[in-house]
Amino acid sequence: MKRFMLVLGLTAAVALLAVIPGALGRTQATPGVTSTNIKIGTTLPLSGVAAIYSRIGVGMRAWFSYVNARKSSVDHKRGVYGRQITLNIYDDGYQEANTVQQTRRAVEQDGVFAMLGGLGTENQLAVRDYLNQKKVPQLYVSTGLAGFADLKNYPWTIGWQPDYAQEGILLGKYVKANIPNAKIGVLFQNDDYGKQELEGFQNVVGKNAIVASRGYPRGGGSAAVTPLIPQLKASGADTLFIIATPQESYTSLAVAYKIGWKPNKIVNSVGATDTFMAVAKQIAGSPDAVEGVVTAQYLKDPVNPKYANDPQIKLYEKVMDKYAPSFPNPRDDGLFIYGMAKADTFVQALYRAGKNPTRQSLMNAVSHLTIKKDGWLIPGAKLITTPKSAFPLRYQTLSRYTNGHFTEFGNLVRTR
Amino acid sequence: MPIWLRVAGYAALVAVIIALPHFVGSFTIAEFTYAAVFAMALFGLVILTGITGQISLGQGGFMAIGAYTTAILATNHGWPQLLTVPVGGLVAGIAGFLFGFPALRLAGVYLALATFALAVIIPSVATAFDHFTGGSSGILLELPTSPIGALSVDMWLYYVTWGTAAVLFVAALWFVHGKRGRALRAIMENELAATSSGVSLTHYKTLAFGVSAFYAGIAGSFYGILSFIVTPGLFPITLSILLLAGLVVGGARSFLGAIVGAIFVEFIQVYSGDVLGPVINTAQKLGLPIGDVDKTTPGVPSVVYGVILLLVLFLMPRGAAGLFSRIAGLTRRVV
Amino acid sequence: MLPLAFTWSDFFQQVVFGLAIGAVYASLALAIVLIYRTTHVVNFAQGEMATFTTYIAWTLTANHGWSFWPAFFATIVIAFGLGAATERVIIRPFERGDPLTLILVTIALFVIFNGLIQWIWGPEQKVFLGAFTPKPFDIGGVAISRQDVGVIVVTLITVTVLWLFFRFTKLGLAMRAAAIAPVASRLMGVRVGWMYAAGWGFAASLGAVSGMMVAPVVSLSPSMLQSVLVYAFAAAVLGGIESPVGAVVGGLLLGLATTLLGAYVSFIGVDLELPVAFSVLILVLLFRPAGLLGRQVLRRV
Repeated sequence: MKRFMLVLGLTAAVALLAVIPGALGRTQATPGVTSTNIKIGTTLPLSGVAAIYSRIGVGMRAWFSYVNARKSSVDHKRGVYGRQITLNIYDDGYQEANTVQQTRRAVEQDGVFAMLGGLGTENQLAVRDYLNQKKVPQLYVSTGLAGFADLKNYPWTIGWQPDYAQEGILLGKYVKANIPNAKIGVLFQNDDYGKQELEGFQNVVGKNAIVASRGYPRGGGSAAVTPLIPQLKASGADTLFIIATPQESYTSLAVAYKIGWKPNKIVNSVGATDTFMAVAKQIAGSPDAVEGVVTAQYLKDPVNPKYANDPQIKLYEKVMDKYAPSFPNPRDDGLFIYGMAKADTFVQALYRAGKNPTRQSLMNAVSHLTIKKDGWLIPGAKLITTPKSAFPLRYQTLSRYTNGHFTEFGNLVRTR
Repeated sequence: MPIWLRVAGYAALVAVIIALPHFVGSFTIAEFTYAAVFAMALFGLVILTGITGQISLGQGGFMAIGAYTTAILATNHGWPQLLTVPVGGLVAGIAGFLFGFPALRLAGVYLALATFALAVIIPSVATAFDHFTGGSSGILLELPTSPIGALSVDMWLYYVTWGTAAVLFVAALWFVHGKRGRALRAIMENELAATSSGVSLTHYKTLAFGVSAFYAGIAGSFYGILSFIVTPGLFPITLSILLLAGLVVGGARSFLGAIVGAIFVEFIQVYSGDVLGPVINTAQKLGLPIGDVDKTTPGVPSVVYGVILLLVLFLMPRGAAGLFSRIAGLTRRVV
Repeated sequence: MLPLAFTWSDFFQQVVFGLAIGAVYASLALAIVLIYRTTHVVNFAQGEMATFTTYIAWTLTANHGWSFWPAFFATIVIAFGLGAATERVIIRPFERGDPLTLILVTIALFVIFNGLIQWIWGPEQKVFLGAFTPKPFDIGGVAISRQDVGVIVVTLITVTVLWLFFRFTKLGLAMRAAAIAPVASRLMGVRVGWMYAAGWGFAASLGAVSGMMVAPVVSLSPSMLQSVLVYAFAAAVLGGIESPVGAVVGGLLLGLATTLLGAYVSFIGVDLELPVAFSVLILVLLFRPAGLLGRQVLRRV
């Protein structure tokens, strides 16, 4: 009995401690911002099946290193108003549970100013409520779900790239205008991403034009899509539309070739970069597998000879050479330039957030950011953000793969 | 170990658990909250694998059942989140109990495969029936809130999960106590011998599967609440494997060890990318010719994680529980 | 999902696909069986080791200008060394421990090899040109890729060689003996430890073969064999875990079943392919708890 009382007493004593309020409120004006430094964070997969996307982080980091070293034409200082930008990269392995933990770690333990460019639709949806509750900017997420452009309900969240529904509409219009009486077979990722783009596409071409559609689960990989392509062929389709992630896209193109199917090929922007076309070509053993693929595009393509002397692409190569020297052929991979262009948008917003930025002033700047001439975008495209229409990138053009690279064609389209 | 020492030990452990959130930051509180959740799942594995000897690579699958139960009830039917937790446990428990019947006929590597299959199947089934489960996109949950003004939501969840873990801990000790415990251990030692001495395999094995899955279901419900979203991707086969690692790290047969295993599971997930820096710095200070490694290089976190796991297995072959008894042996000599 | 009109040419197309993917499952399953036979360890790292060695082959061909077949055989030799070394250095200290611990050791190896691949070669996919061109030939409307035929043929050759090896060579017999009765074998002068190492070595070589067969089909990437491993494991168990022929039969059956079910049972589709395949597998095990070709072991008190 005595022992029992001892335990009870000890427990009670400690429980008392629990009632005493914990940490004293810390007073820091703006988390992550000091007079010399701004600390931001991102979650990307550095491990697991989607680790290729770590390259977005490489591009972002390289650009911040460049900004930290150069003297700005705005204020003649290095960094942004004399502050160096530090980007913490957290590995979430593309798994939502880890995204939540690493985002909390960045915010609560490492005290970042904002999160920038976190990857994955579901991953970023998982932390959207949390970041809005904590009033931490969730900037320029790396997914094109239209739901991330809802500043009214989620004032701390914004996307960056053109949204999937609009891309679907653009590609649908192309099919409608150029392939009369098309019989379309669709391969799509069976989640919000794939369904949203398919819906946009279907609204344009009409339900009857789609003779077969096959969904595969997120993260399915080559094995999931290989048996689907012969089924799409057997449906009598003459046009193949692919809404997938890169691995499924190039596998599908190669399989279509291998089974002797030669449809019109439309691939959405996620899977259609030069690298992945090259992979499809080599798996299939013939350039015919990818010749004529049509896609939508919004950034300048470093491989396109048209931009060989473009000053922005030259700068891109210079920055990659200097700050990411372990990647000798940065031209080949669209993910680097994607990250770098995104980092630059953030830098532009940061300038507009004032000499002493707060999270609120940053969001004000972000929600009103307009850049008339953004060198990363296709010539003529503008970056426009308003609180009511929070789609920073909204200009796209069609592009066709011929002779080993994509060539833009048709008009520049404002999708929103 | 003298009984007063044991009681004092438990009291100290409880005291540390109660006091901890007042001395650490909110994220550390959250990490220990996750540890409590993993501890619940591991208690179940201790019963099933450690004591009854039925290897299971499927604990993550039962966690998924609990999590989906919570997500569907809370988000689609408006239940208060915490009320769904026991339901999650029950649904998973029933599933586990039913799975126990086919598992009766399997042993060793075949059982490992069947449970492995379970861990693979359940997320795929969740993907397929998207009408209920939201498919690949899953179901979003509302952020949890604290009903007590004085407690932050982090502390609230911390105390709720550790409180639940404590109840499950005591229940687990009770479950493996006495006649039933002897029967379960007999099954582990030798099934045929157990049967011939009157132990009903059907009864005890399905019971062990059911209880273990119930524990996993409770853990899964909390895991969903803490993750703000429930998707098939939350329960990859690697989660089940990680739990098995936690079990071995804890010493397989000890519920106290399972708590250590749970802390291991949580921290190796979050920090495996960060261990390398200090290690390399130390090596460089010792004059070893090692270059810098960028911890954000893809693959580095995995290599570190794997090497830590190997080292732990090598250095603590009997897990944390083995370590405890060694320490206990020392104290006996001292006291 | 729209059900498709049935045509024979489409059916045979799916059969060809099913056999080709089944051959891939079978070849990795063979490696798992080999290690189990010789050391009674289920090696979860089998797929990652195979991918690792395939990257070595890639380095030889892409960076050092080797042509395929020399690189193929060199890699098989390198893989043998890697497998044997892994057994001696990493598995050895745990050999007498708990079987659960051993499973975890191979899982740790899985994680380490996967990490090393990404660390050394990067996470991006590499193009690995195989021995056979993917160019299809056409038989009555069914396109058959030469590559797929190549994979099936190589798998069949491998299993034949393996069977002959265990049946008729001294080393093969010694390896079997070491696994079945280690103490007796030691007394008979068999160096049991080295037999284990040889088992791991041969398995790694086999894995390398399957890796080099798969890579040209799906492109070489760090996670290339992860989904295959799940099926290979299933195929090995289905075949009875100790039987090479069973592994091949199991692999081909699984490949055919998943492909045809996914194609023709519209209720199943891609999402449920895996669940249905595994449920069938568990059912099979219920009636034959030691697999299709495994031998029932008498249980003794």
